[in-house]
Amino acid sequence: MIQVAQLTAERGDFCLGPIDLNLDESSYLTILGPSGSGKTLFLETCMGLLEPRSGKICLDGKEVTNLTPEKRQISYLPQDLALFPHLNVRANILFGAKQRKLDDKVSLSRLSDLIDLLDLHSIIDRHDVTTLSGGEKQRVALARALLPGPRLLFLDEPFSALDATIKRQLQVKLRQINQDLGVTILHVTHDQEEAFMLGEQIAVMIDGKLRQVGTRDDIYYRPKSLDVARFLRNQNIYEMTLTDIDHEGFLQLENGVILKAPACQGVEVGDRIAAVIRAEEVVIIRPNKPIGPELQDNLFLGTLKDILAFGGTHTLTVRIADSGMNIDIELPNCAMRDFGFSIGDKLQICLRQRSLWTIKIDTVKREDKDAAI
Amino acid sequence: MLKRDTTFKVIMLLPLVFLTGYFLILVGSQSAFFSLDDFLAQLGQQDIRSAIALSLIAATTSTVIAIVLAIPTAYALARIEFPGKRLLDTFIDLPMVLTPIALGTLILMSWNTAIGRLLSDIGLTLPFTLAGVILAQFTVIVAISVRMLKATFEQIDQRQEQVARLLGCSAFSSFLQITLPLAKRGILAAIILTWARAIGEFGATVMVAGTAKGQTATLPSSIYLAMSMADLPKAVTLVVILIGISLLVLFGLRMVTESKR
Repeated sequence: MIQVAQLTAERGDFCLGPIDLNLDESSYLTILGPSGSGKTLFLETCMGLLEPRSGKICLDGKEVTNLTPEKRQISYLPQDLALFPHLNVRANILFGAKQRKLDDKVSLSRLSDLIDLLDLHSIIDRHDVTTLSGGEKQRVALARALLPGPRLLFLDEPFSALDATIKRQLQVKLRQINQDLGVTILHVTHDQEEAFMLGEQIAVMIDGKLRQVGTRDDIYYRPKSLDVARFLRNQNIYEMTLTDIDHEGFLQLENGVILKAPACQGVEVGDRIAAVIRAEEVVIIRPNKPIGPELQDNLFLGTLKDILAFGGTHTLTVRIADSGMNIDIELPNCAMRDFGFSIGDKLQICLRQRSLWTIKIDTVKREDKDAAI
Repeated sequence: MLKRDTTFKVIMLLPLVFLTGYFLILVGSQSAFFSLDDFLAQLGQQDIRSAIALSLIAATTSTVIAIVLAIPTAYALARIEFPGKRLLDTFIDLPMVLTPIALGTLILMSWNTAIGRLLSDIGLTLPFTLAGVILAQFTVIVAISVRMLKATFEQIDQRQEQVARLLGCSAFSSFLQITLPLAKRGILAAIILTWARAIGEFGATVMVAGTAKGQTATLPSSIYLAMSMADLPKAVTLVVILIGISLLVLFGLRMVTESKR
């Protein structure tokens, strides 16, 4: 559907890319990245609003790099929605149909479908779009983007200003639009929950580069770099030294404690390795219960140092005995109630091998960075 | 809180009261020299009627030309990046900082160049002609129009134009369908201000076109002529006419602007 090859662009001092990306027909890709990482700049370059410095953009195999925006057949829902204040709700939604010279019957039929789909009945005859609520504006802007019948829809942080309930309703609608109408969606956001809920594929953009593109599980459990791991709120990241690789390929890592971790490509003894485990993957061993075979390795005794309560979960910080290592553990409220932990309690935990992920630390790059600092 | 607000409002309103009073004194002081009979008699004079007509025609024409040129110029300065933009932006402001007399001199001198002589040869002469009046007024007001319209275009969210492009508009169509309607109030404000400046223009007009009665004597230059000949009733009549026309047009345009909000 859309292929981006070696795309670079710049705005002021900020450089985007080079970026390579393929997006299949009817797929849903979310680009996740912190504010200022270049997500909007990437969309603008793909849409033809900004001239790329180099690279190629193809739609359905045809190069569109030098086409003007209106010839690319991409619909766009920007963060600030950009409704046209001098037009009423109906005229806003029908604006694209008029420009694309759609047949009146087709336009009105699509309008009627969108009114049903996005529940616009109560506001479709509203004269002044500035009097709409945030959620209503969002639905009108989405309807306006969808009415010309685009095959490709770009969304730029579309729900960032909405409250949680309306946001969830609209996220469900977006999935419906992708699945029922077959619209290919490229959605950029800094909201991890939104990216994981909506994206079949997720791309992580940091500092103008796509650091990783993959499925939800790839990104969530198997980050390719420390930057990605840190951005995805992996609290448990330990920089260790590889001291042995056993006959099954498992790595032995040391840094105050010894960890047995799954294999990591292209590593050798002496390398610096980051071991990563998500807080909800850490297992607490119940006292006086038999320990299953997969929990025999990476068992540690620790002391509960801190408890942070969130809405539905608690995060426990455990200091491992005889080391400076802290491990964060996320527990749902019901499990927390069962355990009845309090600060100072001793507990045994296990970092399961299959939950651990290892990343080779690029020491040369780091040394360069340190030297630069 | 309420008391603090009241004090704040009074502080902000006092200068408004002062300015209104000051303007009322200026206008009211004319009453000593004003009589309705004189006024009606003066209105019947050919040279006064001619000055009114000339002022209206010249101010309206110069405003239309200035706005038509200022809209694309201001849009280019607000939206398009090109080398030397800052320099050009500053250069365009030149008429705003020069006195009208100096501007008039520049216009006259430019008619001594090859281009000026060419224009003279094809019949476009400036002294004692309507074209001279219009060109003088245009030169004075065009920079004001550009400045006001540039500010207007800069305030319009560029994202709206971009969304329009992605919905199928060409650059020109997006400008016509999105940018211009959104700039409507700014354009009307620019028209009001530039027209008001044009109808009151004196220095450059006198320098370029002179003050020939019935030919190039506008309302301001007629006032000057009347005062220089100590013809107070005529001067006051012309002032009252100028005030009346200006207030009528400004108020009318303001009403149009407000009603379209």
